[in-house]
Amino acid sequence: MASGLAAASLSASQSAGASGNVITVGTLYANTGSFATSSMPEYAGLQFWVKQVNAAGGMYVAPLKKKEHVQLVSYNDQSDPATATTLYNQLLTQNKVNVFVADFGSVLTAPAVTIAKDQKHLLFDITGSGTSFFSSGPNPYVALTSLPVSAVWPKPVVGLLSSLKIKRVAILYCQNDFDQAQAAAIKGFLASEHLQPVYFQGVPTTQSDYSTIVQAIKGANPQAVLEFGYPNNDIAFLNQLKSTNTHFNFVLTPFPGQLPTLFSQDVGAKALAWEYTYAVPPIMRVNKVNLGLGLNAFLQKFAPGKESTVNFLNVAGYNAGLAVQAAFAHATSMSQLGIRAGLTAVSGKLQTLEGTFALNKAGAQVGELLPVAQMVPHGAGFQFKIVYPATAAQKAMVNGTPKYPAPRA
Amino acid sequence: MRLFEYALVSGVLYGLFYGFIGVGLNLLFGVMRLVNLAHGDLVVWGGYLAYSLTTSAHVNALWAIPLSIPLALVGGLILYLITVPRLRRSEDTETSSLILFFGVSQVLVALATMKYGTNQVTLPELGNPVMIFGQPYAASLVASAALAVPALALFYYYLYRTRLGLATRAVMANEEEAIASGVRVRRVATSAFVIGVAFAAAAGPLATYMLGGINPTTGGGLTITAFTIIIIGSLGNPLGTAAGGILYGLASSLTQAYAAPWTGLVPYALLLAVVLLRPSGLFGRRVRVA
Repeated sequence: MASGLAAASLSASQSAGASGNVITVGTLYANTGSFATSSMPEYAGLQFWVKQVNAAGGMYVAPLKKKEHVQLVSYNDQSDPATATTLYNQLLTQNKVNVFVADFGSVLTAPAVTIAKDQKHLLFDITGSGTSFFSSGPNPYVALTSLPVSAVWPKPVVGLLSSLKIKRVAILYCQNDFDQAQAAAIKGFLASEHLQPVYFQGVPTTQSDYSTIVQAIKGANPQAVLEFGYPNNDIAFLNQLKSTNTHFNFVLTPFPGQLPTLFSQDVGAKALAWEYTYAVPPIMRVNKVNLGLGLNAFLQKFAPGKESTVNFLNVAGYNAGLAVQAAFAHATSMSQLGIRAGLTAVSGKLQTLEGTFALNKAGAQVGELLPVAQMVPHGAGFQFKIVYPATAAQKAMVNGTPKYPAPRA
Repeated sequence: MRLFEYALVSGVLYGLFYGFIGVGLNLLFGVMRLVNLAHGDLVVWGGYLAYSLTTSAHVNALWAIPLSIPLALVGGLILYLITVPRLRRSEDTETSSLILFFGVSQVLVALATMKYGTNQVTLPELGNPVMIFGQPYAASLVASAALAVPALALFYYYLYRTRLGLATRAVMANEEEAIASGVRVRRVATSAFVIGVAFAAAAGPLATYMLGGINPTTGGGLTITAFTIIIIGSLGNPLGTAAGGILYGLASSLTQAYAAPWTGLVPYALLLAVVLLRPSGLFGRRVRVA
């Protein structure tokens, strides 16, 4: 932890306009460690939102009846939850930020959730979708902005498995809130159809060697294999399949859809062929919005000429900023509960590039549901085809039919 | 039964690789009592060298092994000259080295982040799976084990068949007695340091395969693994390092097969058991106290 603190650095963005009338938004990012891959693009998305808002003269703050500039106060937690705990506290007690935004994922969000509840300070949780964050009843101090709560994610996966008449399912998950919740949800859905997974095992989130695990799964003779991990887990797992020529008829992992460029480089298009993943923006394109940029405009402005490099986490960071913007625009007062009331006011009505923003009483995101996509070979690469919707409204997005059993690459 | 067979073979293959990882650290800790917390980071830099070779020159990643050795010898010598003479003058070499190499580790991590970014990088697979007892093993896994064997043999040769190795063992056993016997300790220490660094860097390309990829912070976990292996196997004994690696690999592999949630725990429970029951390690000799 000491190392983390020593290396923790306040970003340059704080020094800009440190005084005067500004709304301060505190956040953490990880520029090293296992979550850097996901944290940094998310942070870049949030920074982009700040830039956009300030370029437009600031964001409207309803209780003040005027626009205010936004100042981002950020620290590097180096992917370490212990360091993150200290730094989240620092944001509230030393920097006295108006609201704070969590770092990527459930592991680095968990300390912020505890602090938000204890100190009654509003947390914008971008991608920490662990079910445990939202399972203790109504909570006005945490709002999940960019992903549905983990337990909701796999709902369309179950629908897809059911439509393909798949009954023998193997589930491998990492032991963290995000992955465990998905695994448990699938197991629960299967149980409701009187089915049991043929393989159901958790591994440490630090797992990198999948050699024997893959053989154990193979021995269970599954029709579908669902591996729930973080990017490094997914990469190691998929590479293990590739290096041993192990073929399953249905494989789903969460992160290729979020980080397609990284997976293309580290796993290769051939090994990703016919694999399933969650369809997130920009795979899922939402352009009809009532706040901020639609997806196409975001791609053009965020990375002009390099739109293909934009990933979901960039979108998620930007979308968190939009949630902050909406909260202040409809806040009833500058108190934490007053700002939270602003979010309640827009819940179900706010349309952003991630879809309909809707929170339940516990602060869990229940609007931005994710369809399932399959990676279909396309030339030397692959393209995502949305093959199963999460909601009736998403049926229009479906642009492919699932290829099952998956052909051998 | 097929799974048990697979786990056994996989455990042995992984174990030999883990032994390779432990060799360099064994030398440094055994000879100079240096707690090299940067060991894993040196391995990672070896992996990055292989990555650079495959992405820029499009050559087989294993060419990085012979290339890394002279680079590591030079780099190791520079690092030695900057750090070790001062360390050895300190009252508590072990604690001072722990702090110093923690700093070295952080520098290596920062440099890797600047050069290669934070994303995981992987290497192209070496070829088709190799069938052993009718079951497929990654070519890189088999190659890693196959390369670890001569590396461990080389380590054995150095320690037991060369004059420098004899002097090294003398320093490991008792530095003051070695000095009294005319052993040039500084020469031994320099050799042990640079050879240790070279072994670490040479293991890098293999680690990139074995760990499913590397990122700048992968080294921390590797250092812990390497310490675990040399403590299980015993300091200064190449056979012990190989045995420690194989035991670690088997524990990890069998746990993956039959109790996957405990994968992160069992190898370290093994370490605890060894430390409690046989503090000098599996191949360690009893310490002479008088």
